[in-house]
Amino acid sequence: MSGALALRSPILGSVRGVDHVPGTRSGVDPDDAEVGRRFAAGDEQALAWAYERWAGQVHGMAVRAFGPGPDAEDVTQQVFVAAWTGRARFRPDDSPLPAWLVGICRHKIADAWARRDKHRREAEAAMTEAQARPGGPVTAGVDTAATDRVLLLDELDHLGQPQRGIIELAFFEDLTHAQIAERTGLPLGTIKSHIRRTLERLRTRLEVDGAALHA
Amino acid sequence: MQHCTPEQLALAALQEPLPASDAAHLDGCGTCRAEVAALRRAPDLLSVPQLAAPGAAVPPPPRVWDAIAAATGVTAVPSPSAEPAPALSSVPPPPVEPDHGGTVVPFRSRRRPVLLVAAAVVAGAVVGAGAVAVVQSTGADGDAVTTVALAPLPDADASGVADVVVRGDGSRVLELELDAPALEGSYYEVWLIDRAVDGMFPLGVVTPGTQTVELPAGLDLAEFPLLDVSVEPLDGDPTHSGVSVARGDLDA
Repeated sequence: MSGALALRSPILGSVRGVDHVPGTRSGVDPDDAEVGRRFAAGDEQALAWAYERWAGQVHGMAVRAFGPGPDAEDVTQQVFVAAWTGRARFRPDDSPLPAWLVGICRHKIADAWARRDKHRREAEAAMTEAQARPGGPVTAGVDTAATDRVLLLDELDHLGQPQRGIIELAFFEDLTHAQIAERTGLPLGTIKSHIRRTLERLRTRLEVDGAALHA
Repeated sequence: MQHCTPEQLALAALQEPLPASDAAHLDGCGTCRAEVAALRRAPDLLSVPQLAAPGAAVPPPPRVWDAIAAATGVTAVPSPSAEPAPALSSVPPPPVEPDHGGTVVPFRSRRRPVLLVAAAVVAGAVVGAGAVAVVQSTGADGDAVTTVALAPLPDADASGVADVVVRGDGSRVLELELDAPALEGSYYEVWLIDRAVDGMFPLGVVTPGTQTVELPAGLDLAEFPLLDVSVEPLDGDPTHSGVSVARGDLDA
């Protein structure tokens, strides 16, 4: 367990509580871990605290993906509603609440992309048909990127630690395997073999479910 | 010659540089290249700036909480001190400090040169000859030139080469050669974007082929080093569509 514990705080600490300014809160406010535990237990006040502390980061991600406006606000709303209604799946001992929220935010962004992609292709298909042109616009055809992203994020949810933390540092923080080793304190060889196995697992998921989905 | 180890091929799929001998082997080995190609779809799809770890916080407007409260029936309210100023112009929080002794790595910067090489080699993408990284040179007429290759982003078939030319009078232009399919109902736009992918300058509409785009005087290219080509729908929305098809790093 010591390895996992050593790993946990630095990795999952990548989503830091930078949103709230220390010193502006009264002494009775719970720390982030306590907010996470109360959230999991269904304490409504914990949802408000979570929003106070992390809505800015979640909305910041959504704005980065969609620009400021209704789309980004929708995603932010969906993240907190989904987190609250799905709180039974949140394990405060496995990951801090902000990291869990960021993971949900990735799902919601990918879902929105997949919906847009579907609409675009439907519109293009309709247009191509209407014009009875062979070929069609350049963006037509089988582009499975949007749906594959949804599958891949789902597969990440099924990874245990430390595999998930390692691959997230590679994917989402752009760290090299050497930097991940430094950050986590795990040996280089361990990092490399986890990366290899996780990429194989993701490839398999795409080959199996992706093929079925697009068939 | 011995094949690369499975672990090294996985690192190559993540665009990490390999030791020289392995990189040389990978260059010439179809089996190893095919393996990298098979492993890299997941990183290519997920390792995008939009899904990266959170950057600057942007407080949502109060109506977002109202909608959450309505949907969940929760009656607790966030404290007023957290009520946001709903403006993008609000000062972003200070950069997050690295953990004990770690390094803050700007997204993609460390791997960018490798990404360009890998994109050219592994995916068989056509990138301008000799332009797999930023090249500094001097133009025929004595102007300073920085050349950057625009590598296709995942699932895009656009690429190109751009020269930033500093003219004798100090003004700068971007000479862009874009190799991309013609579009209908949408158009290409070229942008300079900062590393956090928070700030960006639209430089204008571009088309497949060669063109010259004026750069704003005083724009700090070190601060906005990502040269990005996007596909913009004809929707009257001046913001970036989020659909980027090619990108290069002026500061790689």
